[in-house]
Amino acid sequence: MQVTFDVFRKDPEPEAKPWRSNYTVELPEEATVTDGLLKIRDEVDGTLGFRASCVRGYCGECLIRVGPRNRLACTARVSDFGANGPIALNPVRIVPVLKDLVFDWDAFMWNKIKAVKPWLEPKDADGETPVSDAQMKDVRKAMSCYYCGLCDEGCTALPEDFNFLGPAALTKASRFVSDPRDKNTPARLKILEQAKGIWDCVHCFEASEHCPRHIDPTERIVAMRDLAFKTGITNEKVARHHTSFAASVKESGWVDEGRLAVESEGLTNIPGLIRLLPTAIKATIRGKAPLPYMHPKRPGADRIKRIFEKGEQKTR
Amino acid sequence: MPEFDVLVIGGGASGLRAAIAAKQAGASVALISKVHPLRTNTGVCQGGLNAPLGRDDSPESFAEDTLLAGDGLCDPFVVRTFTEEAAKDVLWIERVGAPFNRDPEGRLDRRALGSNRRNRSCYADDRTGHIVLQVLHEQFQREQIPSFEEWFATSLVVADGTCLGALALGHRSAKLDAFAARAVILATGGFTRVYHPSTASLGTTGDGQRLAYEAGASLMDMEMVQFHPTVFPGGPGLLITEAALSEGGQIIDSTGEPISSSTGIPRHELCMLTDSALRNGVGSVSVDLRPIGRERILERLPQTHELVRAVAGLDVTKDPVPVRPAAHRPMGGIETTALGATSLAGLFAAGECSCNGLNGAGRLAGNTLTEALVFGRRAGEAAATYAREATKPDVPEARVSDEDRRLGAVTGADSSDDSLGQVQSQLRRLMDEKVGLVRDAAGLEGAIGEIRNLKDRYSRIKVKNPSRTYNYELTTYLEVGSMLSVAEAVATAAQFRTESRGAHRRSDFPNRDDQVWGAHTLVKLVDGSPRLEKRPIAAGA
Repeated sequence: MQVTFDVFRKDPEPEAKPWRSNYTVELPEEATVTDGLLKIRDEVDGTLGFRASCVRGYCGECLIRVGPRNRLACTARVSDFGANGPIALNPVRIVPVLKDLVFDWDAFMWNKIKAVKPWLEPKDADGETPVSDAQMKDVRKAMSCYYCGLCDEGCTALPEDFNFLGPAALTKASRFVSDPRDKNTPARLKILEQAKGIWDCVHCFEASEHCPRHIDPTERIVAMRDLAFKTGITNEKVARHHTSFAASVKESGWVDEGRLAVESEGLTNIPGLIRLLPTAIKATIRGKAPLPYMHPKRPGADRIKRIFEKGEQKTR
Repeated sequence: MPEFDVLVIGGGASGLRAAIAAKQAGASVALISKVHPLRTNTGVCQGGLNAPLGRDDSPESFAEDTLLAGDGLCDPFVVRTFTEEAAKDVLWIERVGAPFNRDPEGRLDRRALGSNRRNRSCYADDRTGHIVLQVLHEQFQREQIPSFEEWFATSLVVADGTCLGALALGHRSAKLDAFAARAVILATGGFTRVYHPSTASLGTTGDGQRLAYEAGASLMDMEMVQFHPTVFPGGPGLLITEAALSEGGQIIDSTGEPISSSTGIPRHELCMLTDSALRNGVGSVSVDLRPIGRERILERLPQTHELVRAVAGLDVTKDPVPVRPAAHRPMGGIETTALGATSLAGLFAAGECSCNGLNGAGRLAGNTLTEALVFGRRAGEAAATYAREATKPDVPEARVSDEDRRLGAVTGADSSDDSLGQVQSQLRRLMDEKVGLVRDAAGLEGAIGEIRNLKDRYSRIKVKNPSRTYNYELTTYLEVGSMLSVAEAVATAAQFRTESRGAHRRSDFPNRDDQVWGAHTLVKLVDGSPRLEKRPIAAGA
């Protein structure tokens, strides 16, 4: 079958203007987008830049945008796309392009993974470490990640702040955090709870929606937050926010926003508290924080408190 | 120019293991890899890695199975070294993070792959390679070893029979640079991309074998190319792991009858059974996973389920998957000692690009990853030891400009309508047809003539892209050059060995002939042409 590709092109110089190339090639019915790209590069236009390695869905190297969706080019069949005119090929959304469809994996993912100190610190032991298969199964699940980047691509926080570690690197970190053989978990949580880490996740669950291997990055990030709490790594502002949130709901049945703002900043954080003043004044003027400031209990607050106490007993 | 004690070329399992070992032995180390380490061909390995972990197994029993699979061509002392050290290395990879499957007591569970007569393969579902590769890369990062990713090694620097480093082109930096090193370890993987179909990734093109061969080292047992019995032939070829057979899957013909008992047989025998079933007109041969049951397939073979759907469009819980034998892994490669030393001083090799006599004429299923760990480590340690005594490598600055000119000379306008794509696809079909599972004199002679014809056409092709930034046309050009050199070595070695043994089947010489052929074959490059000779099997050392 004749297939036409409409391909994003860009030279390596940062200021270079992108353009598009159209290629029409003859391909077998079962051909993939990677087959098409290889045929173009090997027989038509050697200047076309794109990555490929395993060519059968193992390795994640060939992530690009095929038509409207991000896909591994090596498992995307042209027959699924080609019926309505040229197949548009573009680099993924938020990443700097190095050349044509070759984008900056270092900036997108590899450097962020390096930042979480992605190695196990083994405990001193000889021979095999006896450990249950259930624990190993969860680690294997996390490590079925093939670094395709689809979770980062789907992440709603990354387009706002490209320096956020992102779900792929945090999933890598979770692989160690949930591994009972690692002796470095507290130090790793310290890294993760800093700015750009676990607390910058907005838990929109897009990462979990996008993961082709159902590794559930969002749940793993939430689990690391829980663990950070449990291990007493609660210095970060967001952790204080969570503590205050839970405490006010437990006491009054609903959130005390004034207390939440003050406790999140920290009672001794004078500059932080001063920064809150304009918001507090505006809220007062608009009648949202009537003076004197009171936060009444809501009806049924006692029952809510009992739910909390039950939960606390369970986790103890 | 950057200078290191040990330079590792190749970022798969053997290269990472060698780099870690050399660093831990006190050497300054760097690694260059043409793709990111996590994208290397190691990830394709599925079933497991062998280790005799006591209980009902022993190094002796492991050695027996390895020798049997090698069909009389293994060097017994290399096999002994391997089987004695395997447990230590597999326990190491477990301790530093591999989350292998466990038995109910929490110990490493093991499955029997292929012709292993014991439950001997530790495994991580059906993505053992993918997971072992990650753990190696984790520990590699822990050692803070400089990693030059997406750098393509174009030549070795050799003076007076000693390797002094390598020249490499950075895709991103667009820079050609010399890496001076007291010792170089080639860990560039196999070459079965010269076949179509095959189980190999795009970059499995024999680059390291070509680098060593052109630098004067010998290639050993190149005719020994292992075919995998159960490969879905559509697209690039997709391997269905033998673990599927250990779990209860079957190989069936078009009427649904099992063609044989599928377990406990060496790969080459299973390939011959499948192949003769196909030739005898049974219509098709398939792997049928349905006897395993849907739940267990999803539990134990999740990647197989996923990839068969993606590549073949079939659901292994409902459909048999059509298969045929396809090129998988070479046993042959750069001739080395059990410490990875090649015939060139300062040049070492490990893993799939090398050949030390472990695998003989057939590799035991599950030995690949263990081999990468054991001999990657040994090569790393040996290279670090060698580097301590070696003199400072003196790479003349002119080598870089000479190499630059060499690459420049293959770049330019091309008026022919020939292309790298055509040369490659013709070579790959030719190798499958004439230098494939079953060979004969006439076919091999024709193949050798055709390969020389393709080399001739190749020499007239120009690289039209003048850029150095992510110029994959240039690196593909170099890879196709490797493929042609290696293909010629394979075909001439196959012509040389006039017997059938292990993976090397000659229809005109159907029997094993220990009197004449109880020996390795060596291929050397002499005046631009391959020269063949025999090397005795080393019994002990």
